[in-house]
Amino acid sequence: MKRTYQEINEKIRKGEAVVLTAEEIIEVAEREGVERATKEVDVVTTGTFGAMCSSGAFLNFGHSEPPIKMTKIWLNDVPAYGGLAAVDAYIGAAEPRADGSIEYGGAHVIEDLISGKAVRLKASSYGTDCYPRKDIDTWVSLKTINQAYMYNPRNAYQNYGVATNSSERTLDTYMGKLLPKYGNATYSSAGQLSPLLNDPQLRTIGIGTRIFLGGAQGYVVWEGTQFKTSVPSINGVPKGSSRTLAVVGDMKAMSPEFVRALTFHKYGVTLGIGLGVPIPILDEEMMKRVVIRDDQIFAEVLDYSVQSRNKKTIREVSYSELRSGYIDINGKKVKTSSISSYQKARLIAEALKKSIMKGEFLLTEKVADLPGERVQAPLDLHAREEVE
Amino acid sequence: MPMKKFLVTFSPDLVSEPITYRLVKEYDLVVNILRAEVDENGGRLMLSVESSGPQIQKAVKYMVDVGVQVKELKEFIRKDDQRCTNCGLCVSICPVSAYRIDKTTWKVVFQNEKCIACGLCVDACPPGAIKLRAQV
Repeated sequence: MKRTYQEINEKIRKGEAVVLTAEEIIEVAEREGVERATKEVDVVTTGTFGAMCSSGAFLNFGHSEPPIKMTKIWLNDVPAYGGLAAVDAYIGAAEPRADGSIEYGGAHVIEDLISGKAVRLKASSYGTDCYPRKDIDTWVSLKTINQAYMYNPRNAYQNYGVATNSSERTLDTYMGKLLPKYGNATYSSAGQLSPLLNDPQLRTIGIGTRIFLGGAQGYVVWEGTQFKTSVPSINGVPKGSSRTLAVVGDMKAMSPEFVRALTFHKYGVTLGIGLGVPIPILDEEMMKRVVIRDDQIFAEVLDYSVQSRNKKTIREVSYSELRSGYIDINGKKVKTSSISSYQKARLIAEALKKSIMKGEFLLTEKVADLPGERVQAPLDLHAREEVE
Repeated sequence: MPMKKFLVTFSPDLVSEPITYRLVKEYDLVVNILRAEVDENGGRLMLSVESSGPQIQKAVKYMVDVGVQVKELKEFIRKDDQRCTNCGLCVSICPVSAYRIDKTTWKVVFQNEKCIACGLCVDACPPGAIKLRAQV
């Protein structure tokens, strides 16, 4: 049994495509077998809603009269990067407000814009003959901004370690508050619903793949930063953070339901973003990948009290154990929390399923593969001649 | 059995009054001390008390009579369900399991009756959906 993108899209256009979420397909394939499920189902949808720091947006404000070449830019007092053409900027999700506050940062600016709110733009410049103006203070919104597209260098991590804390003090981390003496453990992957765990070798996901991003249709544009393929696998999926995606999408079509500013106490600002990828069921091999269950996906439990890039692995744990609410660490029953929202991951997989069934979302064949092999290099202290 | 929570505040001269002892011994209350602080300004006790009869009322009267300030605590925390993303970070932070995930809807459910107002969840909530009631 083989199926092409063209055949799938033809069925989508006619409103005849059979689409299930990565959660629903598990039961169907168990009941009917992989062979029959492959014949019946055209597309399986995935979803995740997690904290993804490596996110941000390019904005073009339009030209003022007289014009200004903006060099320093603030949006609601959050610095944006202006080292681009005169009125282009990049607002990074993790940027704190200029006064150092992490209660409001780049992610909040992005959420406010997507919610339709006005944002105060201040910019300054050294002034040139062609751009004489030296400062500006005005209000902008998605109604006035020409282009506002999210460009996230690293989203949709394929699995991620579980965080816990063996030390005597509470740790405030990007994995949330970690209570002393293994007081809790936090994890972030959507497991069986997570996009890259349902196509672990990225057979159908590559440059040009159309995706759900923040409620809009977006695209995979490149390998994500820190993309690596060297992580050992269990049941065909990596047991630690592995592949990632760089993605792009139009903020003007996004919804605040799937874009949420987050502050991790004493750590910083980040963006909660909803991302979903449709997986075409090209053959039985593809079906075998998307039926993966939480009890078959494992992650390493890492001790975040070790302030090093090399953290000790305490044990490996399945997502079904993590989702039970407790995991066992050295005989202790440790409460677990997810950082990503499984409820929203489901909503995203459902929303993507509905838009495919309605014929609004067609699948794209990737135009280029993401790397088949990639090692993540560390940053060490080097003399110049060592790296040239 | 009816259960109520109280914040009991007393001045330095009442620090030696064995309040908890009398609540148990004379008023037959099941007392659980949720939080306790004593400093140069006196003391603050957060208690949950359970009783089968009208004993709680009598016990409150006793405390007021000896000069202790008694305030019943009903709601400390407000969770904004629109702001909440249902991640569940609060679930493992809460020392008394006042938050749980509903495994059907995967939504976070807050059980006010369990809350002891420790405030740990407020800082732990990334979207800022949880606020102390005083802040609301």
